[in-house]
Amino acid sequence: MNRKQQFAEGTITNNPVLVQQIGLCATMAISTTLFNGIGMGLSVLIILTCCNVVISLIRKIIPGQVRLAIFVVVIAGFVTIVDLLLQAFVPALSESLGVFIPLIVVNCIIIGRAEAFSSKHDVKDSFFDGVFQGVGYTLVLIAMCLIRELLGSGTIGGGLLNGASGFITLDGTGAGIRIFSDTYAAGALVLPFGGFLTLGVLMALLQHILSKSAARKAAKEKEVSD
Amino acid sequence: MKSSIHLSDSVKALLRPGVVLLAVAAVAAFVLGGVSLATSGRIESIAAEKLSASMQAVLPADGYEDLGIEDNGEVEAAYAASNGGWVVQTTESGSQGLVTMLVGVDGSYACTGVSILDSSETAGLGAIAGQASEKGEAFRAQFVGQTAVVAVTKDGGEIDAITGATITSRAVCAGVTAALEYCAAIEPDGSVPQPLSDAG
Repeated sequence: MNRKQQFAEGTITNNPVLVQQIGLCATMAISTTLFNGIGMGLSVLIILTCCNVVISLIRKIIPGQVRLAIFVVVIAGFVTIVDLLLQAFVPALSESLGVFIPLIVVNCIIIGRAEAFSSKHDVKDSFFDGVFQGVGYTLVLIAMCLIRELLGSGTIGGGLLNGASGFITLDGTGAGIRIFSDTYAAGALVLPFGGFLTLGVLMALLQHILSKSAARKAAKEKEVSD
Repeated sequence: MKSSIHLSDSVKALLRPGVVLLAVAAVAAFVLGGVSLATSGRIESIAAEKLSASMQAVLPADGYEDLGIEDNGEVEAAYAASNGGWVVQTTESGSQGLVTMLVGVDGSYACTGVSILDSSETAGLGAIAGQASEKGEAFRAQFVGQTAVVAVTKDGGEIDAITGATITSRAVCAGVTAALEYCAAIEPDGSVPQPLSDAG
């Protein structure tokens, strides 16, 4: 399988959030600070990759009738492991993501990739699929966090960067770099419906770019055939 | 003969999904048990550290003694501080879920501080009550020195609410009020009342 194409699919052309439109609940709920976005993105990336590998490993012995039950057991197992590790080693992140870490169990990205990809492909391909889809998810989260945090609270890098000096705090206490006073910030963007607005705009942008590049490609092919 | 082979095949086909599912679940349970065993110590010590840091924040003292009271759903725990005050843990319903807070009360039954231990309030609105931001600090500072019934200005009290809907602010006020009420009921000889079971 072509890795480059697989990477492009995961991050852009078949992006889990913007194109497949799965895993939206957590995306909307936690993309309010950069710290949350990166933390959630990496958690999903790790869980997705582990699940893809394990499900691909046992794909030949999984009976079709109970495959969903087995997927859920594997996913819930990895989610719980990550949840416990976060609680023990990154308590700040576990606190600010709250219920959304356990909710990764029902995140459609993971069960969707298990059903659509890793249960049909070998371990290597499934591993890269997990990584690339995870990167795609993380990129969208980061984009949403940057937009919502900047316009919604007037800061950049909340939880991760601290004050004007911009040094990195990994315990989630950083207040972020203030760009403008929060008196002028559109607080609505931090609320769930601000998440819908941001996501809609990002989806429209990506579709615009994709359809343009597809049109250009078609025009080129036509030229060649003419 | 033919029919018996047929039968055993169908039994196999029936049993296989269950056996595989059981095996996968057993492996998962085993791994999870190991991870839980390895992390539980650290998780507990982090929770204990957080609790003691919050106690120091609401009522600084050298030591706290757990009074071992029964959790009634509102007043959850109470600690006697070494300097004559108390720290009470109370829980109230906020707008998105429960808001759990620690309230410091001094010997003259005035509030010395409040700290939100756990809440799931709306980001950007109610969540400010528990945050270490300027607004959050200012909101919590209002409770210092309050006695008897604490209420937001909308309800005739002295606390400026953090949002117009005052749901989170009311929850914090109710929690502080419950803590003050509880401490007022502590006998001068130090005997500890159990919180009323119908409180809240």
